[in-house]
Amino acid sequence: MIAPAIVFLLLVMVYPLFDIFRLSLFEFAGLRAQTATFVGLKNFGSLLQDRIYWISMKNTLIFVLGSVVFHALVGGIFALILNQHWPNIWLRNVVRGLLILPWLFSLAAAGLIWALFLNPLGPLNYLFVASGLVENPINFLGERDTALWSLIAVNVWKAYPFYMIMILGGLQTIPPDLYAAAQVDGAGRWQRFSYITLPLMRPVLVATTAIDFITTFGVFDLVRTLTEGGPARSTITLGYYAWRVGFLDVDFGYGAAISVSMLLVMSTAMWLYLHLGREEIYG
Amino acid sequence: MVNELASFGRKVRLPGLVTAVLLAIGLLIVLFPIMWMVFASMRPVSETFGTPPAWIPREISFEAYETIFFDPRQQRYQVNTYVIALSTAFLSVGLGSVAAYGFSRFKIRGGRSILLGILALQMVPGVSIIIPFYNMARWAGIWDTYLAMILANTAFALAISIWLLKGYVDSIPIDLEEAAMVDGCSRFQAFYKIVLPLLAPGLVGTATFAFLYGWNDFVFATILRDGHELMPMTVAIGNFFTSHSRDWNSIMALNTMATLPLIAVFVLLQRWVIKGMTAGAVK
Repeated sequence: MIAPAIVFLLLVMVYPLFDIFRLSLFEFAGLRAQTATFVGLKNFGSLLQDRIYWISMKNTLIFVLGSVVFHALVGGIFALILNQHWPNIWLRNVVRGLLILPWLFSLAAAGLIWALFLNPLGPLNYLFVASGLVENPINFLGERDTALWSLIAVNVWKAYPFYMIMILGGLQTIPPDLYAAAQVDGAGRWQRFSYITLPLMRPVLVATTAIDFITTFGVFDLVRTLTEGGPARSTITLGYYAWRVGFLDVDFGYGAAISVSMLLVMSTAMWLYLHLGREEIYG
Repeated sequence: MVNELASFGRKVRLPGLVTAVLLAIGLLIVLFPIMWMVFASMRPVSETFGTPPAWIPREISFEAYETIFFDPRQQRYQVNTYVIALSTAFLSVGLGSVAAYGFSRFKIRGGRSILLGILALQMVPGVSIIIPFYNMARWAGIWDTYLAMILANTAFALAISIWLLKGYVDSIPIDLEEAAMVDGCSRFQAFYKIVLPLLAPGLVGTATFAFLYGWNDFVFATILRDGHELMPMTVAIGNFFTSHSRDWNSIMALNTMATLPLIAVFVLLQRWVIKGMTAGAVK
C-alpha cells in the first residue's frame, strides 16, 4: 500500500537529489547533457574563490538568523498574550485569527504589500518624515544598508504566526497545576516563566526552530520579487544565486555545485543543532 | 478547547494595561499593510501615493477587480493557481492516505526508517533541486505543462501529508476494521467503508496544507513554465515590482484575490489546520 507513494517520492524527490550531486561534477557547454564534460570537484574549487558566493552565504546566514530570532520573539510574545486568561474568549479567538492572517500570504504577495508600505512615497516614509525622524524618505529596498533587513522584516511579518501557533499549542499542554504549585511555593511571575514555561517548551521550540531554519535557508521568492539580489549584491542569497547561475547564466554544473553546498551546509547545521539540542534535553 | 483555556491556571487579571498596549501596537503593525493593500486595490494610484497619504480612501472604485475578472490574461493567472493548488491537494491526499494506512496498519520491514527518510526529504529546500527538476521535465516532455508544476509541488506536499495522515490513522481504533473483516468485508472495503469516513477531518486538514503549498508555490512555477499561458498568480505578482511597473491599483487587486480564498478556507477549517500544524511538531 505504501508502494505508490514511495515510488513517487523516489522518482520525484530522491532521484533529483542524487542528480544534483552528479551534475555538480560536470561542466556544461549549453543546456544539452551531451555537451557535458566530467570535471570532478572543479566547480567546488571555483566556489571557494567566488566572491559572490561568499557574499550570498553571508547574506543567507544573516537572513536566516534575523528571521528565526525575530520569528521566535514576536511569535512567542503573541502566544504568551493569547495564552493568558482573557475575559472574553470570543475576542481572543478573533485576535488569534487576525494575528494568523500574514501566514496565509505567499512570500511574493507579502513582499509586494511591503514594497508598497515601505515605498519612498508610502505611508511609513510619510510618518518618518512628518515626525521629523528622518529628513528625506528612505528607499528601504533600494539602499545597501537597509535592503537585507527590509527583506527580513517582510519575512518576520509573514512567518511569525507559525511560531505563535506552535508555541500556543505547546503552552496549552503545560498542566496548570505546575504554576499553582510554584505559586504556593512563592515563585514570582518571572521565575514561573523561566523555571516552568521555558524548560517545558524546549522540545516545541527546538522543532519549530528547525523547521523555520529549513524554510528560511532556501529563501528565493522574496529576493526575486523585491530586489533581485541588489543593490550592489547586498541581498543576494544562496537560493537566488543558484537560480541565477543555473537559469540566467545557464551554467548547470556550477548552479548544481551551489545547490549541493546549500544541502551540505544545511544538513550539517541541522545535525549540529539537533545533536546539541538533544544533549541539553537529556544530558 | 475553550474550557482548557479558560481554566488555564495563571491568575493574571485580564490582559493588563501593558499587555493591551503591546497587543494593540502589534495588531496595528500586522494589519495595517493588509488594509493598505485593500485600499490600494480600490482607488487610483495617485491617491495611494499622495502627500500626506489619504488614510481613508476618498474615491472608491472596483474597476481593478473588473479587469481581473474579465481580462483573459488576468483570468488565466487565477485559473492556473486553482488548477495547480487543487491538483496538488488531491494527489497528495490520495497517495498520502493510502501510504499512511499502510504504515499504520502493517508491519513493514524498516517502516520506521522509511518514515524518517520521508521526514528528512521534507528538509530539502525546493530551490536546491530546481536544476534536476527542469531537466526531468524537459526529458519527460512535460515542461511548460500543469503536470510538471503539480508533480513538483506534490513531491514536497506528499511527505508532510503522509506524516500528518499517519497520525490520524493511528488514532482510529483497529478493532473497527477487524470487526468489519470478521463480518466479511475485504481489507479494501474495511479501508473504504470504515477508515475513510472516520479519517475525513484528517483528510480535510491535510488537503488544506497541500493546497496552501500549491497555491503559494513560486519557485517551481518560475522554472517549469514559460510565458503567460500557465503563469499562476504568485509569479504574476512576483514579476510586478522588479519590472518597474506602476499599476499598483490592479496588482493590489490581484494580490487581494490571491489571498482572499486562502483566508476563506482558513476561517472555515481553522480548527483542523491548527491541529495539524501543532500535531506535526509535537510528534
